[in-house]
Amino acid sequence: MAAVKQTVEHVASLEKYKHGFVTDIEQDFAPKGLNADIVRFISAKKDEPQWMLDWRLDAFERWLAMDEPDWAKVNFPRIDYQDSYYYAAPKEKVGPKSLDEVDPEILEVYKKLGIPLREQEVLAGVEGAPRYAVDAVFDSVSVVTTFKKELAQVGVIFCSMSEAIREHPELVRQYLGSVVPVSDNYFACLNAAVFSDGSFVYVPPGVRCPMELSTYFRINAEYSGQFERTLIIADKGSYVSYLEGCTAPMRDENQLHAAVVELVTMDDAEIKYSTVQNWYPGDPETGKGGIYNFVTKRADCRGDRSKVSWTQVETGSSITWKYPSCILRGNESSGEFYSIAITNGRQQADTGTKMIHLGANTRSRIISKGISAGKSSNTYRGLVSAHPKAKGARNFTQCDSLLIGKQCAAHTVPYIEARNGQSKFEHEATTTRLSEDQLFYAMQRGLSQEEAVQLLVNGFVKDVLQELPMEFAVEAQKLVAISLEGSVG
Amino acid sequence: MSVLSAIKTRDAAELPGKRDEDWRWTDLRGLIREVPAPSAALDPASLPAGPFDALTSDVLVIANGVGAAHIGLEPGETKVVALRVVARGSGAHAARISVDVAAGGKLTLLETYEGEGAYLGQTGLRISLAKDATVERIVLAADDADGVTVAQAEVALAPGAAFAQSLITGGARRQRLETLVRHPGGHANLRLDGVYLLADKRHADLTTVVTHADVDGTTQQLTKGVVRDQARAVFQGKIIVAEGADRTDARMGHHALILSDRAEVDAKPELEIYADDVSCAHGNTVGALDEDALFYARQRGMPEADARALLTEAFIGEVIDRIDYEPAREIVRDWAAQRLRV
Repeated sequence: MAAVKQTVEHVASLEKYKHGFVTDIEQDFAPKGLNADIVRFISAKKDEPQWMLDWRLDAFERWLAMDEPDWAKVNFPRIDYQDSYYYAAPKEKVGPKSLDEVDPEILEVYKKLGIPLREQEVLAGVEGAPRYAVDAVFDSVSVVTTFKKELAQVGVIFCSMSEAIREHPELVRQYLGSVVPVSDNYFACLNAAVFSDGSFVYVPPGVRCPMELSTYFRINAEYSGQFERTLIIADKGSYVSYLEGCTAPMRDENQLHAAVVELVTMDDAEIKYSTVQNWYPGDPETGKGGIYNFVTKRADCRGDRSKVSWTQVETGSSITWKYPSCILRGNESSGEFYSIAITNGRQQADTGTKMIHLGANTRSRIISKGISAGKSSNTYRGLVSAHPKAKGARNFTQCDSLLIGKQCAAHTVPYIEARNGQSKFEHEATTTRLSEDQLFYAMQRGLSQEEAVQLLVNGFVKDVLQELPMEFAVEAQKLVAISLEGSVG
Repeated sequence: MSVLSAIKTRDAAELPGKRDEDWRWTDLRGLIREVPAPSAALDPASLPAGPFDALTSDVLVIANGVGAAHIGLEPGETKVVALRVVARGSGAHAARISVDVAAGGKLTLLETYEGEGAYLGQTGLRISLAKDATVERIVLAADDADGVTVAQAEVALAPGAAFAQSLITGGARRQRLETLVRHPGGHANLRLDGVYLLADKRHADLTTVVTHADVDGTTQQLTKGVVRDQARAVFQGKIIVAEGADRTDARMGHHALILSDRAEVDAKPELEIYADDVSCAHGNTVGALDEDALFYARQRGMPEADARALLTEAFIGEVIDRIDYEPAREIVRDWAAQRLRV
C-alpha cells in the first residue's frame, strides 16, 4: 500500500504548479493605474536623473498614441491598463548593504525556489562545482545581486538597472534603447515608460566572464505588472553566458509581464542567453489567471564575427508573445535560436525569432520545437531576411511541432525574404503527433504511459536541451516532464 | 475590400496593399493610384490563336472580361477545354467563370492569360468537383510586363474527387495567382504545383490556401521558380487542418533560385493545425545555382550560358514532369525553355 500512496502523492505533487505560493510581505505600491504622474512616481522612487525621467515621459507620450497589436495568434480579453499596479516593491528602510539586511521573508522565497543568494551556499557541496552570480528581481525591484565583487575584479559590471543608471550613466545612455527603440512596439514602449528594474551587464574587451550570470524574476504582488529591462553589452572579444528564470504565484487575475531585453555584441564578442520561463500558466481547466508574457528581446550583432545565441524553454505563462531576434549587422556575425515551447491546458504561445542578415557572410540557425497538449495553441512565427548587401548569408531553420491530444493546435508561420542572389536559406517544418509505435515500444519495455511520453518528448527536444548550460538543462528537462503531466490518457 | 470591388467602384482605396497581411508582398494600393476606366470591347475574332488551341476544339475566350462564363460536365463525361483570358489595352475589367464537374466527370482545363498593354484584370473562378470527379487545371500565365493581373480561383472538392493544378507564369508588372481549396478529406486528392520564371522587373505572387475539413485527405504541393534581374517572386502557401480532420497527409515544398544580385524571393509557407493525427510538412529553400554542378558541366566542355540553362531547366523540370496531360506538358516545357534561354 505504501507504494501506491507514494505514487499518488508523487502524481499530485507533479500536477501542481510548484512555484504558485504567495509571500505576505509589506510592500510599497504606486497608486493603481497609469498616467504621467505614475511614470514620475516610479522615476522619483528610483531617484533617477532628469534625462531618465525625460526618456520615460517621452516613451509614455508615444505609447498613448499607439494601438495594441492584434496580429499574433492569441486570444485574450483586452487588457485594462488602468487596473494594475505599475510599481510594487518590498518595503525596506534604506537600500540593503548586505544580504543580512534583506527581508528574511524574501530570502525565504528564494530559498523555496531553490535560488542561491548566499555566495557561500553556491559554493557548498563539491569543490569545483559551477558557480553562477544571481540578480534577484522581486516584483519591481532588484533585491540583491551576488558575486559583484569577484566580477568587478575582472572588470565585469553586473548590477541592477537602477544601480547602473546611478553608477554608470554614460554606458546606459549610450546603449539603452539602441537595440529596441522606444517606440519599437506597443509593449516595448510601455516598458520604456514604466520599467522598474532588471539587470545590467557590461563585459570589457577581451574578458571571458568567469561565471554564469543570471537573473531570477519573481512576481509576488497582486494586480501588479512586471516591467523589467535588461541590457547586456559584450565589448570586443568578450564572452558572457546569461541565464534568466521566472515564476509567479497562482492567482485568478491575469498579470502582465512586458520586458525588454537588449543585447549588444562588438567585434568577436559572444553572448549566450538562456531562458527558462515558468510563469504561472493559469488554471488548466478554466484558463483563469496566469501571466501575459509579452516580451521584446533583441540582439544587435554590431561587430564583425560577433555571435549571439538565444536558447529558451517556454513552459509557463497563459499567453506568450515573444520573438528573441538577432540583427546581424557585422560581417561574418552569427545568430542562433534554440527554442522549446510547451503549451498545455489553455495556454497560448506565439513565439519564434527574427534573423535579419545585413552584413556579408552572416550565418543563422533556428531550431524550434513546439509541443501542444490539452486545449492549448502553439505558434512558431519567424522571419529570416537578407538585405541586398548580405552576400553569402546562410540560414538553416527547422521547426518541428508535436501534438498531444485532440483539442490542441500547432501552427507554423515562417517568413522568408531573400533579397540577393548569393544567400542560401533552408527551412523545414514538420507537424506530427506522438508516434503510437514508439509509445507502444516504450510501454512494452515496462514504462508507464506517462514515462513513455516523457521519454519520447525529451528525445524530441534533445537538440535544444543540449544547448542549455548544464545546471539549467537538468531543471529544464524536469520542467518539460512536469508541463506535460496529465496530457495523455 | 477587394480587387473586384475596386474595379467595380473605380475606387483605388478598395485595393489591397502592403498593410493587409495577405498582400504584404503584393502591394496594389501603392502601385495603382487611380483605377483605370473600363476596358474597351474586344472582338475575339481579331485575336491570334492561343497556346493550347491545337489540342482541343473546345475553346472559350474571355476578351477584356467579356465572354462565356460557364463550363459544365455531365456525370461521367470527359472533356478537354481551353479557356483563354485575353486582355488588351490599358483599361480595367473583371470576369466571373464557373466550372461544375458532375460525379465521375473528367475535365482537363487548359487556361491561359494572354495580355498586351497596361491593363488591370481580375478573374474569379469557381470550380466545383462532385464525388469522384477529376480535374486537371493547367494555367499558362503570359501577361504583359505592364499588365496587372489578379486571378482568384475557389475550388470545392467532394469526397473521392481529384484536383491537380499546375501554374506556370512569367509574371507581370504585378500578378497574383491565388487558389483557395476546400478539401473535404474522404480520400479526395489534391495536387497544387507552380512554376515561376521571372526576369526584368516582373513580379508574380503564387498564393494558396488549402483547408482540410475532414478525415483522410491528401495534399501535395510543389512550387519552384527562377528569378533574375530585378524580378520579385512571392510564394504564400497555407495549409489548414481543421479539428477532427485526422489522417490528413499534407506536404508542401517551395524552392527558388535567385540568379542576380537584385532579384528578390519572399516566401511564407504556413501550417495551421488543429488535429493531432496528421502528418504535415513543408520545406523551403532559396539560393543560387549550385556552383559545383555548374563547374562539372563546364568541365565537360559546356559553355557557361548553356550550363546555367540546363541546370535551371532541370530544376523546374521536376514540376513540369508532374503534369499528367502529355500534349499540354510539352507545350509548357517549350514555353518555359524559351524563357530560360536568355
